[in-house]
Amino acid sequence: MNIIDILLPTIVFTVCSLLTVPLLRLVRKTKFNPQHFMVAWVLLTFSAAAAGVFRIATEYFGQAESFLQISSVDTLLESMSTVFLVDTVSVYMVIAYLIVGSITCLYGVLHVSSQENLSERYYALMLMVTGTVIAATFSGDLLTLFIFWEATAAGSCFLVAYKKSRESLESALKYLVMVIIASGFIIYGLSLIFGLTGSLNFWTVRDVLLTTANPELLVVAFAFIIAGYAIETAIVPFHMWMPDAYTAAPDSASAFLSSIVDQGSYYVLLRVLLFILTPTAVVDWRFTVAIFSAITMTAGNLFALAQQNVKRMISYVCIADIGYNLIAITSITSIGLMGNLFFFFVAAMETALAFMVIGVFRKMGLETLDDLSGMGRKMPLTSVAFVCAALSFSGVPLFAGFIAKYMVFTSVLQSSVAWLAVVGVLNSVLQTSYFLRVIHYFYAKPAKSDVPFKEPKKLLVPIYCLVVIIVVLGLYPDLALDLLSAAAALLPT
Amino acid sequence: METLLIALMLPALAIPVVYGIGKKSAKTAALILTLIVLVSLSLLLTLVPTVLSEGQYIESYYWIPTLGSAFTLFVDGISLSLAIATLILVSATTVYSINYMEEKSSLPEYFALMSLLTIGLIGVFITSNLLLFYFCWELMLVPTYFIIGGWGYKDSFKTAFKFFIFTHAGAIFVLLGIGAIYMLTGTLDIFEAQAILATTVDQSILPWVLISFVAGFAVKMAIVPLHMWLPDAHGESPAPMSALLSGVIIGAGGYAVLRIALGTVYTAMVPAGNEFLLVLSFFGVLSAFYGSFLALAETDIKRIIAYSSISHMGYVLFALSLFPSSEGITGAVLHLVNHTASKGLLFLTAGAVMHQTGLRNINDMGGLASKMPLTAIATAIAAFSIGGIPPFACFISEFHIFVGAVTAAGADSSYYLPTILMLIATVFSLAYVLRYFWKVFLGSPKAKTDVEPVTTDETGEQKTKNNDPSMFMLIAMLALAAFVVILGIYPGVFIDLIHAVTSII
Repeated sequence: MNIIDILLPTIVFTVCSLLTVPLLRLVRKTKFNPQHFMVAWVLLTFSAAAAGVFRIATEYFGQAESFLQISSVDTLLESMSTVFLVDTVSVYMVIAYLIVGSITCLYGVLHVSSQENLSERYYALMLMVTGTVIAATFSGDLLTLFIFWEATAAGSCFLVAYKKSRESLESALKYLVMVIIASGFIIYGLSLIFGLTGSLNFWTVRDVLLTTANPELLVVAFAFIIAGYAIETAIVPFHMWMPDAYTAAPDSASAFLSSIVDQGSYYVLLRVLLFILTPTAVVDWRFTVAIFSAITMTAGNLFALAQQNVKRMISYVCIADIGYNLIAITSITSIGLMGNLFFFFVAAMETALAFMVIGVFRKMGLETLDDLSGMGRKMPLTSVAFVCAALSFSGVPLFAGFIAKYMVFTSVLQSSVAWLAVVGVLNSVLQTSYFLRVIHYFYAKPAKSDVPFKEPKKLLVPIYCLVVIIVVLGLYPDLALDLLSAAAALLPT
Repeated sequence: METLLIALMLPALAIPVVYGIGKKSAKTAALILTLIVLVSLSLLLTLVPTVLSEGQYIESYYWIPTLGSAFTLFVDGISLSLAIATLILVSATTVYSINYMEEKSSLPEYFALMSLLTIGLIGVFITSNLLLFYFCWELMLVPTYFIIGGWGYKDSFKTAFKFFIFTHAGAIFVLLGIGAIYMLTGTLDIFEAQAILATTVDQSILPWVLISFVAGFAVKMAIVPLHMWLPDAHGESPAPMSALLSGVIIGAGGYAVLRIALGTVYTAMVPAGNEFLLVLSFFGVLSAFYGSFLALAETDIKRIIAYSSISHMGYVLFALSLFPSSEGITGAVLHLVNHTASKGLLFLTAGAVMHQTGLRNINDMGGLASKMPLTAIATAIAAFSIGGIPPFACFISEFHIFVGAVTAAGADSSYYLPTILMLIATVFSLAYVLRYFWKVFLGSPKAKTDVEPVTTDETGEQKTKNNDPSMFMLIAMLALAAFVVILGIYPGVFIDLIHAVTSII
């Protein structure tokens, strides 16, 4: 396998993204329905990329190594050469991105009603961001990771700003400033590491970290890097940008960002903490991360409890999700790693589903809980989809969220921070309470007006795709866990 | 044979059928659901001889091996008795719902939720896999939430919310316990786990696991002080749901304490005195008294029965605290079976009274016996059983409990006090039952009940009022009453089933 094979999905996304603008303009001039064209185009792009990923996966699973390391051959600048990494974890994540990404992108296309113009640059950005996230996931050295991750963050900022309202520009600016601060931290950490070890390759850095006599400075460097990624992941207290950004972003962009970019950022954190900074002999970060985990989920859930605006509430749920993810990262067990990876996928689907349903309501001008009164009877199918997301978030069986939470909480029980499981469980109850409140508004309150609402048939297709996946994975999680049990073996000891 | 699998999955297959047919005729849908439940019931009954002779019956299917989990369906005498009683109650409530719910809307959804609920109700009893158990445990919760919320009385969604939060919080502690067992043993089968736990050297975490389980199950059982959700939930839900809540759902908590907390975790621990069991018996006595006193003070017809449920779960917990005495366990399980039938019947009759008179406060009622004779007879059977009057059902199980308690007290003097207190509590149980029956059915008619059975409302339409309810409600109540009588006169089958259990006793 060479570097082109690895980059093929990203190249597909980039090329298709660049072609979107001229092609869509061309289609507008013909009699074709531009929406139909975009649906076909998104499907085509994703299936081409999926074919590329399929090639990587077959080649990876066809050989015996537990991971593949692919670098560009450049003898002159060997220490700076780009390295890519293919292992079960990255392959799994990329498959998850492709599944959720295709559904959210389709939703984005269908969400625009026929009167409005489809915005070609918006879809181009979505495709581009998917491509960069995939490249970031496959990257095998800290610099490549950094470059692709910053590209992702920049693209996300534009998606947030897309509505061009005062509110969205303001929150995009906030997001951008946070990203720049974060990248400053990361760059500083990277320069320290490069100076100390002469490389940014995951394995080289890890070896040096484990063997060097004085790891103090390296630890400081990693503290900077993790602080930077913590800002981009929106760990409390660095979370302020996230609710604003997700609330102000266009509805389909919120679904897309929360499912792809958000989960991508957790993945980065997981990669750095679990695969480079483990074992914890050099620096025991478990307790610190556990504290942040507890703070993050508690704050996220409490803020969500206080929201009247449903979209903002789900944004805070995204923050709470980081807390749950950190629980499993803290445990450093194979079930924790499996739980984490399963949680990424499930959380991506849940948040996407919630944002998508809310997008349907917002399209009709319904924003707050109060506006949603009685919608359970007026739009039964749409509301049931939200109920499924809510129950999955709350960790009720039949839905995949339960298996994810079960694995996450279980993983930490035997570690030194077992109290984290109790905090997580109590948070789960808190989370249930505000989701039940939404259900309460749906079904218990009388409708505010007699205006009949029509269910958006087209939008229900991507929404119910997600519902089906969530239920199937809830009843039969082995579909994903089978793949993940191989990932568990990768955990460094 | 896939007997258990079919019995469990039939209600699942029923969901779309019932929903589809319910759109045309809710009555047909309910009858089809009843039929399906009865088929499940007869499938379970075919297992009785096997269980009697071999002690247990297991089916295992492929499920989530990555999480140490298989789709293991298992019955022994205890779980089979409870599952049978559950299915009898479910079929009775479904038939009952035909008339009881006929004025309500969205009946297809109601019956579809009932079939979903049925899976959970049987599932908890017939599995030995903890993850599957938890699936069914929560499946008892979600449909119930929507049924209470959607078809309940005053502030129904608020009540349902309280119910959901309380029991979900309890359930999630159960989940912690399940996770701990998985981390300690690598399996989720309760029998394998018990064997591994018993040989584990480091048992320091087991007390925490035990407490986590018992606390979680006690919420569902509504043991004082974790009972706050129960009076509202039982009082405000529609009568068929109250019957299932009180008859099966809280009983499942008792079953889970026996099967998982005591049978799996406690038996694996190195015995270090019986303080833990004494604490359980203390809470049992507390609940028994608390429930009886509030039932004596209450005037709302359904809340009286709700408090009575708290009191009876106290009896069950007390019986379980005699663990591992054979009499205690027999008494506990038999009491759960009897309570399922008697309390279910009592809620159905109370619902009939509410449905026919439109009243809730028992001070407004009186003398209904002459107007609703069949309802009165059914109520009498249920109430006397709940009051522990021989030869009705609950007397037999209470007798077993006290035989066990006296034996335990003979062996360990610390059981004296709880046993004596528990005996005193039975007096109060009898008192509130007699008060209830007197106030509602006997005594002199009050202004609101002393009206002609046939009244004419404003539109000139003739309405029957204050007489026995319509056919399906009557059939359900009388069938269940017959079951209660049989349980009282001939408890032998269930006792034999329970005695055939070898794993715990």
